[in-house]
Amino acid sequence: MIKLHNVSKSYDSNVHALHGVNLHIEPGEFVSIVGQSGTGKTTLLRLLIAEERPSKGKIVIGGWDISTIKSAQVPFLRRQIGVVYQDFKLLPKKTAAENIAFALEVAGDARRRVREVVPQVMRIVGLEGKERRYPHQMSGGEQQRVAIARALVHRPKVLVADEPTGNLDTITAHEIIDLLRKINNFGTTVVLVTHDKTIVNHLKGRVITLKDGTVVRDHVGNYTLA
Amino acid sequence: MRTLHRTTKFALQNIWRNIWLSLATVLVFVLTLTTINILITLHVLTDAAIQSIEDQIDISVYFKKGTSEDILFGAQDYLASLSQVSGVEYVSGEEALRRFSERHRYDERILQALEVVGQNPFGGELIISARNTDDFAFILEALKNPTFGSAIESQDFSDHERVIQRIDAFTQRVQFFALILAGIFALIAVLIVLNSIRVSIYTHREEIGIMKLVGASNNFVRLPFIIEGILFSFVATAMTIAIVYPTATAMEPQLAQFFEQQNIGLSSYYLQNAYWIFGGQFLALAILSIIASSLALNRYLRV
Ligand SMILES: Nc1ncnc2c1ncn2[C@@H]1O[C@H](COP(=O)(O)OP(=O)(O)OP(=O)(O)O)[C@@H](O)[C@H]1O
Ligand SMILES: [Mg+2]
Repeated sequence: MIKLHNVSKSYDSNVHALHGVNLHIEPGEFVSIVGQSGTGKTTLLRLLIAEERPSKGKIVIGGWDISTIKSAQVPFLRRQIGVVYQDFKLLPKKTAAENIAFALEVAGDARRRVREVVPQVMRIVGLEGKERRYPHQMSGGEQQRVAIARALVHRPKVLVADEPTGNLDTITAHEIIDLLRKINNFGTTVVLVTHDKTIVNHLKGRVITLKDGTVVRDHVGNYTLA
Repeated sequence: MRTLHRTTKFALQNIWRNIWLSLATVLVFVLTLTTINILITLHVLTDAAIQSIEDQIDISVYFKKGTSEDILFGAQDYLASLSQVSGVEYVSGEEALRRFSERHRYDERILQALEVVGQNPFGGELIISARNTDDFAFILEALKNPTFGSAIESQDFSDHERVIQRIDAFTQRVQFFALILAGIFALIAVLIVLNSIRVSIYTHREEIGIMKLVGASNNFVRLPFIIEGILFSFVATAMTIAIVYPTATAMEPQLAQFFEQQNIGLSSYYLQNAYWIFGGQFLALAILSIIASSLALNRYLRV
């Protein structure tokens, strides 16, 4: 599903966020990416959604080589990958339902489809009845559910999440992780960046450890930093 | 088509949900346009003022005493037929005497002098007004017409010539100054509009990034701002019309009095040129805001 061949990324000549990263993530996997602050985890995700281009190497997603993707193609890529952030990134002047609908509307989906999909994904994330709330009228956990619902509207093959529980308390965090697992069980590949040891240990899945921009460990099991 | 429909919907939503920002932007637009219209009004008023001075300048042609009315009326008809002449008033000898005595009714010495003369010293007089100060030279030439030229005793114009030259110089200076002023104002107006749009887009910068991250194309992000700009320009132009035209109409009588004119033509100037003035202002504003928002957006679209 996701293949990285010898990927390096430098922001400028002396900041080497990633170098020589090789990764192979199969369809349907649930992968956690861990590592200390500044080791390039966010950079890796930004490469996957073409927010940045690799300085070297090749990135292939679902058979599509996005290493040198044209900016006009980027919107199409982003409609195939769901993204969830620590700070939710909801549009403040739109309601929950409008935020979710927006991802369909930018893709030119018909109104009928928007009216069909939005309630569906809201049900999946457990937000029935909160359609007309604005982001500032919802808790952090609810806002993150809206963001996840929005990431799901295109039935993406891949969902990437950058510390989605970073702003949430432990219980809410586990609810969000359970939601991601549920989505993974539907067949979506999930890539989760997290700092949270208990979450990683709870998942008991594949853990990729980054250090100074390289993969230092790739194993199934518990959270370690070495 | 679907994109246009949706982005229009988003534009209207944006305007409504950011109502204070929208109002502030429209207010800036209205103030800018009003300033421009004040400038246009000043231009019309300067013209009126110059016209008012020019109207008071005319050529008085005094005919020799005893000139027959045939010659006088012939001269009047001929002069009135010239396109450069806006009016010819005939004053008979008796009328000239009456006006003269009237004007000097408190001046004993002049009245006594008149009595000493014992008879009416005035012949007929024609008072000619020109359409334009440039035309005086032509009219003076026309007065040499052989059918009545020899019956002319004198014409008083020499004084006026200097005045006219000064008015012409003054007019040119005023127009030059107005042009510079208009240029400065236009520049300030452009900067103000550019900046208010930059501010509006700056406040939306995070939303723009989010839209891009959920897969919006650049056009999908851009269109609502462009539609907003056009709507703001339209509303601002409408509001400016609602302010400027009634104010011009209301002020016109006082202004007319001030400039000693029957009609300054301010409101009719606006009426006759409404398409140019307000259509032009709307177009300029809309185009400016489209360019401004496209430029300001480019920075935030590179996500
Ligand atoms: N836009 C940028 N310009 C320049 N340098 C950057 C940029 N973004 C990240 N970096 C640098 O790249 C390196 C990796 O950053 P990155 O955000 O990927 O780390 P991270 O693993 O996500 O850290 P954290 O756990 O704190 O989120 C850091 O040294 C950072 O300073
Ligand atoms: Mg990070």
